[in-house]
Amino acid sequence: MKIKHQLAIFNALSRLLLILVLWLMLPVLVEKVVYNHINKSLFEKKQKFIEHLDKEEINDFIVRNDASETYASFSTLHSEFLLLSRVPLRSKVNQTFFITEPRIIEEERNDYRILQYYFRYENTNYLLEIGNSLSEINDLTFIIRFFIIIVLIIIVVITFLADTFYIEYLLKPFYKIIDTKIRHVNEPEAFDHTPIKTHSRDFQELDTVLNQMMDRISELFKKEKQFIANVSHELLTPIALLKNKFENLLQNESLNDVAVDKIVSSLGTLDLLKKVIANLLLISKIENNQYEAKESIDLDAIITNLVTDLQDRIEDKELSFQKNLEHHFSFTGNKTLMHILFYNLIVNAIKYNKPCGTIEIKDGFLNGNYFLTVSDSGIGLNVKQQQNIFKRFTRVSSDLEGQGLGLAIVESIAQFHQITIEIRSEINVGTTFLLVFPNEQKLN
Amino acid sequence: MKILIVEDNPELALEVKEYLTGSGYICKISKNCEEALEEINSNDYDIMLLDLGLPDGSGFDILKEIRKTESKTAVIIITAQGELEDRINGLQLGADDYLTKPFALTELGARLFAIIRRMHGFTVNQLDVHDFSLRLQDYKVSFNEIPINLTKKEFDIFQYLVLNKNRVITRLQLTEHIWGDILEVNSDSNFIDVHVRNLRKKLDKHAKIEWFETVRNVGYRINV
Repeated sequence: MKIKHQLAIFNALSRLLLILVLWLMLPVLVEKVVYNHINKSLFEKKQKFIEHLDKEEINDFIVRNDASETYASFSTLHSEFLLLSRVPLRSKVNQTFFITEPRIIEEERNDYRILQYYFRYENTNYLLEIGNSLSEINDLTFIIRFFIIIVLIIIVVITFLADTFYIEYLLKPFYKIIDTKIRHVNEPEAFDHTPIKTHSRDFQELDTVLNQMMDRISELFKKEKQFIANVSHELLTPIALLKNKFENLLQNESLNDVAVDKIVSSLGTLDLLKKVIANLLLISKIENNQYEAKESIDLDAIITNLVTDLQDRIEDKELSFQKNLEHHFSFTGNKTLMHILFYNLIVNAIKYNKPCGTIEIKDGFLNGNYFLTVSDSGIGLNVKQQQNIFKRFTRVSSDLEGQGLGLAIVESIAQFHQITIEIRSEINVGTTFLLVFPNEQKLN
Repeated sequence: MKILIVEDNPELALEVKEYLTGSGYICKISKNCEEALEEINSNDYDIMLLDLGLPDGSGFDILKEIRKTESKTAVIIITAQGELEDRINGLQLGADDYLTKPFALTELGARLFAIIRRMHGFTVNQLDVHDFSLRLQDYKVSFNEIPINLTKKEFDIFQYLVLNKNRVITRLQLTEHIWGDILEVNSDSNFIDVHVRNLRKKLDKHAKIEWFETVRNVGYRINV
């Protein structure tokens, strides 16, 4: 998952959590504020009531009320009430309490916030209760909660979008670094040293470090290139000399057969030496990116060409060769290298085949990618051999010729062209090499 | 034909010189850029064999210098560095051919023959050997005007042996000449024998070819 997505998810979740907490805390907070407010107003009402209170008034209140020792008054809609009653002597005289409890007024049950005040007047104890209905307040609380949530959601959405865009903006240099400096750089020479524009110090540092690293790699590449050139010159010149000397020596009529045999076998060894060096140099050069991959390659043509060249060897083993290429696939790469790749694969298929066996080359599409297989009906490989087959100097069998570099080269060339190569093999049934070609060519 | 050999390894230069002198060329050796440039400016050469890795610079510099003066000297680049990049570079700069070290002297001989033929505007179109003639422009061989049907490989082998007449040509040399500079180790050189056998059968029908000699364990030689 990308950082921007992770941050976006984190942002969204943290804000949702915030809303949830507020949603849960809101009733408590509102209740506290509202009750405070009601308490205050109830207290003011009580003060007002007490201030004007005298005996007559009390009597007036209570007497008017069927001598039931209680006086009650309430507003029309039962949102408030006032209750004065005589009570037995109590210790809590002149104290004010606030309680919340349900009351039934004219058969209607409601929650009230009630102020209770015990007082003594002319040797009689009274309890004054002033209540304020909470139903209205509850409605109000709900509306406030609802309103606040809507505002919060709007704020969350706006900040979330703002954050997302800002993160996108902040990370832009990062993706640019990845794209221009890392992903599309196959060789150090193609590296772009221009600094990426960014205001974040972190990315500036990343950019600088990448540039430095690439400089070092570039230096190593150059050194390796130089080394390859030196090795070729210093090793191949003496080989050329020896080869020429031996060949000139062969022209000498006075040589006896033993001497001639020795010279011929020396020439063979020299040839081996030359080819091993050439093969190792080839691998190094491929891995050092010294080849260009800009030619349009017609696989069918390359294979047809190779088969003509190798016809003698195919006929010698009486092999049946089938080329079933149905798709005319062409791609961009290096012709010389692709030629070597198929040469090595086909020569292997000939070399390790049984007499009168078959070689088949097929193609097709696999998950949208073009693939090509080279199959033989040869001796096959066991699992361990299959694992090691692409390693340098690995040979399937010690009595067969070859120095074990052919498939290492095949792998190097495949990697160079971003071709995936796989091997499937069964002992005494045959071996199949599968080449899967990349969809998009991103070469040099 | 005057040939300038530009090669820093004195022994190798001498070997090449010996071979070329034996083939009737007049040779001179320069062992670095400086000497080579001096030599070119003071003498006319028909062909130059140019090693790229020289102690005081690259052979490319000499090539550039030569092409500036519009000289007609043909240049065969000889390099150990090998491979595509140098080849393209060299051919773009006006080299006429290209050989990778280590090369067979006989291969050099064949290349020289092709270049000289080209220099003379393809006037040499026929090679004759013991009443057989090889027509180079259309790869046909005939015996006293009777055409002989040869495959391309058989023709190439025949031509190579004729060009290097009186020399033993090893199977390896023939393999390299026919199949190119293949990297496969121990590539079976027996296939050459098959082609040579077929070639000899076809020639044998027309005349005795005791001059087409098999050198035991080594290769073949055409004696003239």
